[in-house]
Amino acid sequence: MSDATPSGFSLPIQTVAAGGINAWLVEDHAVPVVSIAWSWPGGAALDPPGQEGAAAFAAAMLLEGAGTLPATEFADALRDTAIGLSFGADRDSFEGGFRCLTQALPEAIRLARLAMRSPRFDADALTRVRARGVAAARRALETPRGQAARAFWAAAYPDHPAGRSVSGTPESLAAMPAEALPAVLARQLRQDGLLVAVAGDITAAELTSWLGQLFADLPPGAPPAPARLPAFRDFGTKVIEVASPQSSVIFGQDGLAARDPDWEAAQVVLRILAGGGFASRLMHAVRETRGLAYGIGAGLDLVFGEGVIIGSVATENARVAETMKVTRDEWARMAKDGPTEAERADALAYLTGSMPLQFTDSRRIADTLLALRRNDRPLDWLANRPARLAALDQARLAAVARRLLRPEALAAVVAGQPQGL
Amino acid sequence: MQVMPSMTRRTTIAAAAALPATLVAPALHASPPAASPGDRPLFGASAWTLPNGLRVVLAESRRVPVVAHYLFYAAGAGEDAPGKSGTAHFLEHMMFKGSSKVAPGAFSLVVAREGGQDNAFTSRDVTAYHQTVEASRLPLVMGMEADRFAGPLLPPETIEPERSVILEERRQRTDSSPRARFYEAFEAALFGPESWRGRPIIGWESDIRAIERDDLQTFYSRRYAPGNAVLVVAGDVTEARLRALVEEHYGSIPARPVTPRDRAAPAAAPTEARLIRHDPNVREASFLRSAMAPTLTWGSPQAAWALEAVAHLLGGGQGSRMHRALVETGLATSAGAGFDSEAVGVGAFMLSATPRPDVAPERLEVAIDALIDRLVQEGPSEAELARSIRQMTAGALLALDGLGAAPRLLGSALACGLSLETVEYWPAHLRAVTLAQATAALRGVFAGAPTTTGWLLPEGVPAPRGRA
Repeated sequence: MSDATPSGFSLPIQTVAAGGINAWLVEDHAVPVVSIAWSWPGGAALDPPGQEGAAAFAAAMLLEGAGTLPATEFADALRDTAIGLSFGADRDSFEGGFRCLTQALPEAIRLARLAMRSPRFDADALTRVRARGVAAARRALETPRGQAARAFWAAAYPDHPAGRSVSGTPESLAAMPAEALPAVLARQLRQDGLLVAVAGDITAAELTSWLGQLFADLPPGAPPAPARLPAFRDFGTKVIEVASPQSSVIFGQDGLAARDPDWEAAQVVLRILAGGGFASRLMHAVRETRGLAYGIGAGLDLVFGEGVIIGSVATENARVAETMKVTRDEWARMAKDGPTEAERADALAYLTGSMPLQFTDSRRIADTLLALRRNDRPLDWLANRPARLAALDQARLAAVARRLLRPEALAAVVAGQPQGL
Repeated sequence: MQVMPSMTRRTTIAAAAALPATLVAPALHASPPAASPGDRPLFGASAWTLPNGLRVVLAESRRVPVVAHYLFYAAGAGEDAPGKSGTAHFLEHMMFKGSSKVAPGAFSLVVAREGGQDNAFTSRDVTAYHQTVEASRLPLVMGMEADRFAGPLLPPETIEPERSVILEERRQRTDSSPRARFYEAFEAALFGPESWRGRPIIGWESDIRAIERDDLQTFYSRRYAPGNAVLVVAGDVTEARLRALVEEHYGSIPARPVTPRDRAAPAAAPTEARLIRHDPNVREASFLRSAMAPTLTWGSPQAAWALEAVAHLLGGGQGSRMHRALVETGLATSAGAGFDSEAVGVGAFMLSATPRPDVAPERLEVAIDALIDRLVQEGPSEAELARSIRQMTAGALLALDGLGAAPRLLGSALACGLSLETVEYWPAHLRAVTLAQATAALRGVFAGAPTTTGWLLPEGVPAPRGRA
């Protein structure tokens, strides 16, 4: 990769198949490190009613002992060889992965497989993880930000699992029956639906043999399909009273699906409006011009492939109304006329020019590949991206901005003691 | 988002390298002690100094056509003038408001247009500005960085809007979080609210409001001199090319006198030995205990290395003494120890724990006292010290995966007055810690060093009295 030029930077992605599993691989032998990331659809969306947080709880238990190794011995085995193994549940997926030194790869594969196939679920470990989870769930509600995040999803998707807490509530975690956790793994860790991405110091031939070992003996079939995500509910402005000198605001509206032909154009529009740090209109209007906040940003979030635009800002209670007005005005201005030609050129220059920056470490490469697969992108998606971006002219972006942005439907949760709303 | 946080080095390094921050530690020695023949420098960095005093470090990596460009100043919040805490951080914000060739606010926009990312951070010990760009754009960011190094505009009309931004940053980071407010008060209780070590990096609110343009200009004039700066470049550039580029862009900045750091020795006793705070927003009680401790620049460097290992065996997660005695017994939901040896001046060795909701805080504190007493009396075992050193050093090479760790580790060490070797051979330094050193170091901290114990409690929860 080191001989690539700025215009010709490319990332050769290989596909490796073994035992019915198909992995994407970027080989890079410059540094003795390997990263593997994998996921299944499902995650918190499959938590039964009343068992919010079951998938996240089960994921945590995978690191609490497996096979003949109780929790501390399992942790020692990982730490003695610096294997960073992790499992987690997201709103719509269940994920695993590790990064390790090349020499520790056989041990990493052994321990990751052991964790998935033979977790111990020891009673004392379960008690510890439950207590930790309950404490974290309670602590998350101590700040305006935590309160706002909880309320935002609940208000936007009141009748769908996506509206619930991913990590669980103090009540649901306290009441979680022990048998709910193996049940999570039984429905989640399946042969079908599994996506795998690998980057680093490993050849395709080596990966072929390791893949079979890592995922051997998974039960057939796919995780159950969750209910389709309904449209984002415009719930207006919702205030949650929290004693604090500053209010935390989370705002959003319906977005575009990953499969939508306008998806990439929408990303460009949102970067210019809200996602580009100091290059965005919102940052300029809210922070640079008026000093209303330390930062403001918004972007497309995908849940089950469906898009939702989510943004956040925090400002002194007395200035919440002004901040929200400035935000809505910028939203409306972009919806009306779209970006300028200069803004278009700057955004495309950044998106094209920054591609090599995403490939400086193996974990980030593996995560990027996995995200492409979850969005059902073809193998040449990245290679063709500069050409697709270059084809987005101002008229197209303006049309997408008009279609996408609905200032009148921008819903917001405000946690704090806002004045003048 | 390209916002400019005031981060501590601990979080900076943890984010960059994804290693526990306790792994990251350098020393004063010029060469590694007990280096085995297989020991090689971690980054293989080269270093040189320009005639104007600017030190330059290159950690070459040809993996991808990308470079990271970091400029460190050997001055941070610890150098803020009395009554003006937050000056170093305020100046960091103002460095984005233009210089002779770069219009106010344009710096980040130009970097973004070139596909790059830029940011900055202020810690107690350093202020750093950094960009990551595709390799051919190195001269561009270097030119802009050198321009603001030579003379920031600090436009008067941008001061008040930026002060509002910083006050919002303070509200977001600290004032809206009961835990952050408590932590800030806790540090002030141990070191003193007006001492360089006990003040918050972002500054007390009243101090932020009191900072004037002259304060920023003075800080810049005294501290932002070539002889007080370290430039680190990591990534796809050869030494010959970098030497030429650095000479072209930074060589003409004139040498200026530097005001050296002047940090007062810590007080012989804590300002408050016990800090109890009740907060209506708090739902989970929290215990903190901090003792003043040596670092690699203050007291015995050997003791500082030893304390890195002590923190791991005492409170480094599963298998540690605190985890076994507090978490596995059902007294606490979490418990740990933390220590950062790489700091200028006195350091802090910290214990933290959260009691289970059905456990009275008093009971947890009694158990912590008992386990510390026992460790002080018996000392650690050979086996647990060896386990800690093994686990702390096992992943050293993971820092090569990515372009952030090398410049952050190398730059902050040099800016703290430590040598390149402390970073290049840190695993060897840690492996050289003996049982006798670890025992002596922990006794120094837990038997006699000034200490503050703090409790953050939900309303209505009785405060533990603590040992007399």
